[in-house]
Amino acid sequence: MGLIQRVIELRRIPTIGITLQQEITMKVKPPRALFLRYPFGHPLGEAFHVRQQRTILIDTLRGLETIQEPGTILTPGYVWRRHAFD
Amino acid sequence: MGKIQDLKNAMLVQLFKHLPWLAERWAKGHRFVEGQGIPWTPLGKPLRESCIAMVTTAGVHLKSQPPFNMEDPDGDATFRAFPADADKSDLTITHKYYDHSAADRDINVVLPIDRLRELQKEGFIGRIAPTLYSFMGHIDGPHLKTLMEETAPEVAERLLREGAEAVVLTPA
Repeated sequence: MGLIQRVIELRRIPTIGITLQQEITMKVKPPRALFLRYPFGHPLGEAFHVRQQRTILIDTLRGLETIQEPGTILTPGYVWRRHAFD
Repeated sequence: MGKIQDLKNAMLVQLFKHLPWLAERWAKGHRFVEGQGIPWTPLGKPLRESCIAMVTTAGVHLKSQPPFNMEDPDGDATFRAFPADADKSDLTITHKYYDHSAADRDINVVLPIDRLRELQKEGFIGRIAPTLYSFMGHIDGPHLKTLMEETAPEVAERLLREGAEAVVLTPA
């Protein structure tokens, strides 16, 4: 996914990607990323968990405004199924 | 792909789902395309004024569109485009390299279209770009060249043409 992200960013559109694989993201080097230690198939968390999905999407979108250093990987650290999204 | 290979794959999908550390170990031993330099385009205006697009590699597409090719072990470098206001009940997922049972019940798990629509209504973002783009994330071998030189640039070009001012990418 990071490869597609790099192509879009090169076309002069700012991008941010959610990643569940920090190791790969560090190698592929997309411009902005948000890492969650979540299982494959769950980048926005759990089904019908609106607050969780919303928080993750807002964090991701905000990264477009806040990240100043190319290659930054945000790590909000929401523990899978343990973090309380209020 | 043979039945034994399918079975092995299904087993890995479940193992990686339940044991994330195993997926990390797999990633360490796997060869990936390493990026040279880091492309950078700053956000031109605040989010509340920006047109946001979404691209996923979770294998999402309209039920009426042809599914991604699951028979080629190197994956499928093509993409599907569908309207951002598509009805969720018209969407489906073709991807056997991850467990999409949660996303089958709630597409927002991989493509948070409802959440993005809510944020647009609240004024957190300006607009939603008219088209959503979807790839199938498991791409290797000769298809990498197709992805990098043909299909990904085509999507980038379309996004630009459609007025996308920032893109959120979601994996599987």
